[in-house]
Amino acid sequence: MENLYKLGKYKETDRMCDLICDHYPMLLVMSRFGIPLGFGDKSIREVCAENGVDTDTFLAVVNLLREEGTKADTGNVSVESLISYLRNSHDYFLEFRLPAIRRKLIEAIDCRRSDVSFAVLRFFDEYAGEVRKHMQYEEETVFPYVESLLTGRTDPAYNIGIFRKRHDQVEARLSELKNILIKYYPAESSNELNGVLFDIFSCQRDLASHNYVEDHLFVPSIVRLERERGGRS
Amino acid sequence: MTATLRIAVAEPSIILRNGVISVLQQLPGLNIHVVEIRDPEQLAVSLCNHRPDILLVNPASPGLPPVHRLRQQTGCREMRCVALLTALTDRESLKAFDESISLYDSVEQIAGKLQRLVSAPAARREPAGTLSVREREIVVCIVKGMTNKQIAEKLFISTHTVITHRRNVAAKLQIHSPAGLTIYAIVNRLVDLDDIRGTIPDGGERPGGREL
Repeated sequence: MENLYKLGKYKETDRMCDLICDHYPMLLVMSRFGIPLGFGDKSIREVCAENGVDTDTFLAVVNLLREEGTKADTGNVSVESLISYLRNSHDYFLEFRLPAIRRKLIEAIDCRRSDVSFAVLRFFDEYAGEVRKHMQYEEETVFPYVESLLTGRTDPAYNIGIFRKRHDQVEARLSELKNILIKYYPAESSNELNGVLFDIFSCQRDLASHNYVEDHLFVPSIVRLERERGGRS
Repeated sequence: MTATLRIAVAEPSIILRNGVISVLQQLPGLNIHVVEIRDPEQLAVSLCNHRPDILLVNPASPGLPPVHRLRQQTGCREMRCVALLTALTDRESLKAFDESISLYDSVEQIAGKLQRLVSAPAARREPAGTLSVREREIVVCIVKGMTNKQIAEKLFISTHTVITHRRNVAAKLQIHSPAGLTIYAIVNRLVDLDDIRGTIPDGGERPGGREL
């Protein structure tokens, strides 16, 4: 995230509207926790409580994204709440963000040069397929493992270290598409093309932030949980 | 667009760190990705994770291992180490560093130092974006879905040479995937769609064809 705003961590007594107005990317965090708009001047704690959201987990994600590079405090994080956040985040990318970029891409690339348009779309579809696979692995393997760990069952065949090792940077190829369009796509600059490029730039950053939460908050929380449950760490 | 330069800034003071980072992000002509390292104890772990091109570190940081050992420990053998001088430092202890930046350096001086550090290997590269005839042939083969072995046999070169060419192509174009090379090849008329129909996994149907 960019350093545009107030320094220091946000606390539960800060107003939710200050957080969102100072850091508009936190809108995404809020909606992934299922918090609707229209919260007036209420504090972060009040808004979370009204919506059944774990305040400490919410603040842990917010403060981690605001200050990438800090060590996340996993002490009070609710793993259930974090998993629900990550699931919603996956839905957002797979069902909303990437399809929206695809639609804009189709509008932006010149369909008269149908060979190029076809190759660009194929590239995008392959990429979206990779993101889907990446996230499906988490949904189908990692989260169920953690959920059974929460009910006290350890799995001798799996631990979070396996996930940590294979967790790749899913946004890298989006940056490749951006480079291709900017450097090699032979079209006059248009509002549509600029629009989709802006979207790709920001989606790339959002995917990186999503991964950052997984690597620096989710994984350490699970390592801790494994240690507490006497599993491997 | 220049390739991204990954710079890790290891400095516990938030005032110094943020100051350095804000200067780095304004440097002209360099596309810099900053990795912040606040906690000296996290230095080695962060370097392992982020593998920066350049480490900017205060040589007086408590517990800082010698530069050569840090490179070894973290497996970042190519990493260049720059001393961030916040106080008088004796010259002997700076010998292990590749460069040093003082708190009083100007933006131009800092940009010059960083550029010199990274331009050494880059100078050997040909201008980005222009492929040799052989490299173009390789691109065509890749987008047609040929394996390294098939390409080697067709062009009468070793697979080792094919791999070297592929690496050079990826570095010049900043395109690493066959699907990306396909776009490049079509745009530059190295192939047309009929050449590559066979490589399309779903039997030739356009992805989302109805929307085109």
